[in-house]
Amino acid sequence: MNRGVTKQLWTGLRCLYTSSTRTISSSSNQAFLDKNSSINAFVCTNDAVEYSGDHFPLGNVIIGVKDNICTSKLPTTCSSAILQGFLPPFNATVVKLLEDAGAVMLGKTNCDEFGMGSLNVHSVHGSVVNPFQHPSSTLAWENRERRSAGGSSGGSAAVVAAKICDAAIGTDTGGSIRLPAAYCGVVGLKPSYGLLSRWGVVSYADSLDCVGIIAKDISTTKRVFDVLNVHDERDPTCTNRSIRREASHAVEIQLKSWSNLKERNLHGIKIGIPEEYFPFELSGSVVKNTRSTIVSLKSLGATIVPVSLKSTSFALSAYYVIASAEASSNLARYDGIQYGLHIKPPLGADLTKTSKIYAHTRSKGFGSEVQKRILLGTYSLTADSFDNYFLQALRVRRLVRDDFDRVFRMSNVRVSNQIANADGVDVLMHPSAIRTAPLLDGEEDSSGLEAYVQDVLTVPASLAGLPAISVPITNKEDDGWPVGISIVGQWGCDDMVMKIGEVIESLNSNL
Amino acid sequence: MSRLLLDGWHVVLGIETHAQIKSRQKLFSSASTSLLTHPPNTTFNVVDAAFPGTLPKLNPKCLFLALRASLALNCDIQQRSSFDRKHYFYSDLPSGYQITQHYAPIATDGYLTLPTLGRKIRIKQIQLEQDTAKSIFDPQTRTSLIDLNRAGAGLLEIVTEPDLQSPDEAAEYVRALQTTLRAVGACDGNMDTGSMRCDVNVSIHRPGEPFGTRCEIKNLNSVKFMVAAINCEIARQKALLMSSRIVPQETRGFDHHRWDTYKLRSKEDAPEYRYMPDPNLGILHVSVAQIQQVMDSLPPFPDALRKRLIDTYEAFGVTQTAIDVLMGLDTGRDIGYDGEDNINLDETSYQDPDMSAVAYFENVCANKDRDPKDVINWILHSLHGQLSTNFTSKRITPYQLGELIDLVASNRVTRPSGKLLLRHMLTDPSITLETSVQQLAVNLNLIAMSSSSKDDLQSVCVRAVNALPDEVAALRAGHYNVVNKIVGWVMKETKGRADAKTVREIVLVLVKT
Repeated sequence: MNRGVTKQLWTGLRCLYTSSTRTISSSSNQAFLDKNSSINAFVCTNDAVEYSGDHFPLGNVIIGVKDNICTSKLPTTCSSAILQGFLPPFNATVVKLLEDAGAVMLGKTNCDEFGMGSLNVHSVHGSVVNPFQHPSSTLAWENRERRSAGGSSGGSAAVVAAKICDAAIGTDTGGSIRLPAAYCGVVGLKPSYGLLSRWGVVSYADSLDCVGIIAKDISTTKRVFDVLNVHDERDPTCTNRSIRREASHAVEIQLKSWSNLKERNLHGIKIGIPEEYFPFELSGSVVKNTRSTIVSLKSLGATIVPVSLKSTSFALSAYYVIASAEASSNLARYDGIQYGLHIKPPLGADLTKTSKIYAHTRSKGFGSEVQKRILLGTYSLTADSFDNYFLQALRVRRLVRDDFDRVFRMSNVRVSNQIANADGVDVLMHPSAIRTAPLLDGEEDSSGLEAYVQDVLTVPASLAGLPAISVPITNKEDDGWPVGISIVGQWGCDDMVMKIGEVIESLNSNL
Repeated sequence: MSRLLLDGWHVVLGIETHAQIKSRQKLFSSASTSLLTHPPNTTFNVVDAAFPGTLPKLNPKCLFLALRASLALNCDIQQRSSFDRKHYFYSDLPSGYQITQHYAPIATDGYLTLPTLGRKIRIKQIQLEQDTAKSIFDPQTRTSLIDLNRAGAGLLEIVTEPDLQSPDEAAEYVRALQTTLRAVGACDGNMDTGSMRCDVNVSIHRPGEPFGTRCEIKNLNSVKFMVAAINCEIARQKALLMSSRIVPQETRGFDHHRWDTYKLRSKEDAPEYRYMPDPNLGILHVSVAQIQQVMDSLPPFPDALRKRLIDTYEAFGVTQTAIDVLMGLDTGRDIGYDGEDNINLDETSYQDPDMSAVAYFENVCANKDRDPKDVINWILHSLHGQLSTNFTSKRITPYQLGELIDLVASNRVTRPSGKLLLRHMLTDPSITLETSVQQLAVNLNLIAMSSSSKDDLQSVCVRAVNALPDEVAALRAGHYNVVNKIVGWVMKETKGRADAKTVREIVLVLVKT
């Protein structure tokens, strides 16, 4: 982390705490700075922080914002050289909502370039280091094992896990909230697609991108979610008010029928365990911890049923075709003309085509993972392969959605004339990650297939636009690193997945 | 369908027209649409400049005007259509793609009838799409200057089937399209300002043989250039085929300095646009109720209006020429931006800011005692002739003109007095829209003499005969035309209040006795 940013963070914290009722000594201020330089989570901080007051819905709540969400006060780089120093002329709707609700935005958090990656190592700002350290470790925290915070919202998860922020917002296209939340041991919610506005959120793949929330616990997650869960005229994919009402009404009725949930009585709740989400590569400790959580839920009265989502095996390929195709299109705008990095073609360069002039900027400005996906997406959209790849992927996507609609008790309010499955499950539950956070500098490189196997657990909910939350569960096995369990609900059942998440949260505190 | 034959060749033409939608705001952004008079880079916002984090939002006014155009061109409006991204890198395209309707256009299968030939030209489809920015290359500095004013403005792409058979037909099609789009307010139709641009597909073949290979001529911005380009292209293709060579499929441009077409790119160089459904805009749903609403709001089409006027008024002796002149008075009166109505055909609401000449005429004719032929003559020759500006209903109301016409028709005011009265009403600032014309005629002493006292007229005529002895002598000597001079003296003396026919009779009697 560079010196300039460190200094900004210092000023930011100073501004924050002089007007705050919270008191903080300068030594703990220094501790924060040391913390951030050890996790590399903030890429830039707000030096004009204003404290709002407790009467605001999010008064006193300290927030980090992923660096692919536009802020007019702080640069928005998407962790890419192509947008280095780029200051958007407007705030994202979610940023405005947070500010209006009194949240204190501390700064912008590191991420994988344009949200592409699952380890937060593809960043012009460098890798995020997971702040977790097992209580039994004898090493100084700064010298802890260097593990990945997960990606792409690694910085957002790390600032929450390091207790610098109460919550952070990020984006989730194929697991980018849930995976880092699981690796860092915090809560991560990817809401139903279309509930949270994407105006001002830099597009990676529009049809999959969701703004999500990472927080220390579910009640904070819910507080932030409730502030952000409003219709926005400026996002054409933002769900209209009548569908929102319909969905929340249905969820309300369902939740009322579980009035004993507070007393941890889970009678009447049906939890589906999708067999396809337990691949061969799943680590032993993850399986054991997941199983013990499920057993606990069963003992509280929940009905546990195995379910099958047959299209899951195709979901990953469909996801990569769709996400890459949309990325290749969305990233075409970075040409170095209107804003961002501009590389002048060298003397004697071929200037006969506009694309040849842009190539200099784009080759320099985009990192390797982004270039890889642009190339893949460009290929799948060419006339010769469009039918075999892109259209095929859209068909698979529909199958994945149909799979989910078949297993859930609640019907999908976005699909008309859907017959509800009375025997269906309320939520699905599966491990958030195939393993605990991988080592940053280890042999297990991110470019390997493992990163893709991991995606099997998270992309189906993205393809179907379903709410999914990763909740930390206590890891009683081997290394003791955080493990997360995912709860997936029908579209619009965000409150339901959070409610069930709360039960799991309470299991942890009881142990 | 038998095709026209030109020197033994059949000519096959299809036209793609890009018509700028006459909306206040752009297709997917709230930035204002621009005029050529706007300074560069003053009418755009972050959406048009493709800033990261921006999203498109369909402007409902553009949709409304697209639906109007679709109905005017007799198309089937698709209840489900969608938007696609067409990708290419060019400096006039900040996002790297143009949003268009490649896979599912908003309207299909329509037609436009050529007014003089009466032939139907099939419209294959209409699609909504974004216009690009403008880039101007400065050869001195070897840089491209970019103006984002036009970036993201709404366009209608209107595509015909290959139904046109000659350059003249193509010209007539484009003119009819201009008139139709103007009539519904979808586009101002001005080719000289770039509001309408045409691409023409040209091929020729021998009768009985299949269609020849077509070449597309891009970006023709006047009917004159289009006709010239088609003629050049026909000549070029004919020369190739006559010398047993083939016509390669090409995209060509028209150089109006050299007055010839030139090759832009061959089929092999056709760009790969990588069309992709736009993930933000989703399916565009248009309900039957919405279509009905647009249909109800449609202003009358010129053809239908002309036919109705002829059917209604020809029986009263109103000529087609007069109707055409009347309708011609309304040509400058375009519908406003976003399809907002300036024209009001409601006969009871003439206090409306301004009426079209047709509405004005029908309003005056609403009184069945009036002769439509008389009314149209008053409007075209007297009222319009004396309005030194474009036609307007703001100076004299239809009610007032009706009053005037009635006074003249009932001989209470002579025709010359009536014209005088009209001129007075247009020039005297004290005259308001509420002024009673009859009262004004009395005040100005313009009530015809014949209807007051015939004896008065008799005495004026006697004075005329006495005042003009030479003319009386000439008349008595058989020079009949001289009677007009005596009548003129009387008319002058009575300030036109006398009825010339009656005066003539009296004078002739006086001279003979």
